[in-house]
Amino acid sequence: MPDVAYTADRDKKFSFHKVEVLSSWYQAYARRESGIRSILDLNGKKIIVLEKSVQQEAFNRFSRGFGLDINIVSVPDYKTMFEILSRGDADAGITNQFYGALHARKYGLADTAIVFEPSSLFFASKKDTHRYLLDAIDSHMTEIKNDPNSAYYQSLKKWTSEEVPFRIPSWLKIVVLASGIALTISFAGSFILKRQVNIRTRELKEINEAMEQRIVERTAELAEAMERAQDADRLKSAFLATMSHELRTPLNSIIGFTGIILQGLAGPLNNEQIKQLSMVQKSANHLLSLINDILDISKIEAGEIEIKSELFDMRAAVENSLRTVIPQVEKKGLALEAAIDSEVGMIKSDRRRIEQVLINLIGNAVKFTEHGTIRVECKIEKACLITKVSDTGSGIEAAEIDKLFLPFRQIDTGLARRHEGTGLGLSICKKLIEMLGGTISVKSEPGKGSVFTFRLPLQSKM
Amino acid sequence: MKKILIIEDNEQNLYLLTFILEKNGYSVSQARDGFSGIEQAKDKIPDLILLDIQLPGLDGYAVARELRKDQSLHAVPIVAVTSYAMTGDRERTLEAGCTGYIEKPIDPLTFMERIEKYL
Repeated sequence: MPDVAYTADRDKKFSFHKVEVLSSWYQAYARRESGIRSILDLNGKKIIVLEKSVQQEAFNRFSRGFGLDINIVSVPDYKTMFEILSRGDADAGITNQFYGALHARKYGLADTAIVFEPSSLFFASKKDTHRYLLDAIDSHMTEIKNDPNSAYYQSLKKWTSEEVPFRIPSWLKIVVLASGIALTISFAGSFILKRQVNIRTRELKEINEAMEQRIVERTAELAEAMERAQDADRLKSAFLATMSHELRTPLNSIIGFTGIILQGLAGPLNNEQIKQLSMVQKSANHLLSLINDILDISKIEAGEIEIKSELFDMRAAVENSLRTVIPQVEKKGLALEAAIDSEVGMIKSDRRRIEQVLINLIGNAVKFTEHGTIRVECKIEKACLITKVSDTGSGIEAAEIDKLFLPFRQIDTGLARRHEGTGLGLSICKKLIEMLGGTISVKSEPGKGSVFTFRLPLQSKM
Repeated sequence: MKKILIIEDNEQNLYLLTFILEKNGYSVSQARDGFSGIEQAKDKIPDLILLDIQLPGLDGYAVARELRKDQSLHAVPIVAVTSYAMTGDRERTLEAGCTGYIEKPIDPLTFMERIEKYL
């Protein structure tokens, strides 16, 4: 006898095996529109239960516990129960969850929140008979319950999975129809829109292509213009370099001959001749320095300057540079000081360029100083050679400082006469120092003087 | 009397150098281009050669290389006389076989001192 719920009473009449076949809860089912949701909704209602079943007792206990007045009707099977319920001849019925889950929808019934009393279902036999059969059932139950793919679980799945009937509600049909129309309209609309978008896209693409074409053309034109400008720049620099060389050839002659005449190699001169010829020599030398400046800046800008890396005595280079201004310093009655740290010795750089910068800075200091001292300091700090040229001259206005290192600028010193020079000296110094890997800076106070400082990284100190 | 050969195309420079050297007691011979310079050098074997670098035709570098090929001129100092600040001039003249280098414009006050270093 299958599907027997175990109770103490039944155990007196029947023999049960031990491994339960199923464990099920009882649940109340009612028509969807019944409004029955919880146990309290069952008060005064007509409820169908299975005749002489465990659930009848259980439900009686359950409903009494809530103090409900319930009219209980019993039927022989669940099928009859659901038929009565669907006709509306009773308000609710109690079945196990398996049956209810599988059949309720067919009868237009729905489950309620009324769930109670779990019961274990077994096979049973007449008391103390078929013991061997019950034992066999137990051993098989144990076996099939351990295998998730067994027939037991497959049939359980069939019973517990819900079969959901599909009914299209009328409102859905209207919605579908309406959406259909809307979709058709929107398709038509989107088609028109797409056409318009396509047209616009094509137009934009054409505009875009035209723009790109123009960009390409303009870029090519610019590149060409740039190249022409660079060519022109190179040509200008090359021209200046050649020109200044050509200008020097006659100067060589002028400087050379005035030199030998002043030396008296061609015969003795009177004082007036010496004075006048000295003026020629001075002007010639000045002209030479101007031409040299132009030659230098042209070569730097044309990228033709080569920087050497040679070992030389920095102290000697400073002393050598100082020597060149001694005549002017003496003439002006200035003091000339040099403070070269004992650490400063042999360095690796381009001696000629460093001397060029030093001579330029010291020359400027002398040029712009009427009273006081010209001082050159040289020291080594943090693997850097730091050289300072300071003066007590006219100084530089703050507004002029930025322009100081730009080529072709000679600041207005406020003096009636502009100082001699191309105004290229400092820009050459800056470029040379940068080419040597260093930096140059200036601090100045008008009326008090200026300090020019250049720093060179030491490649190797010896 | 020591002999000095000047190879220089510029007439005024040639005259200037000649004048200073002769005034200082040297015997000077002149060449106005590279080819005649090489010829004279081989012929006279001077005590020193003053060589301008910017010469028409065969330039100073080529002349120096040519002179160095001659065994008899091997020990003769060649001093390049060239314009200031030509890129790599100094190295190039030494590579070509010159002994020393003097920049133009020459300074008459120091010129002899510098020349005599090589003699």
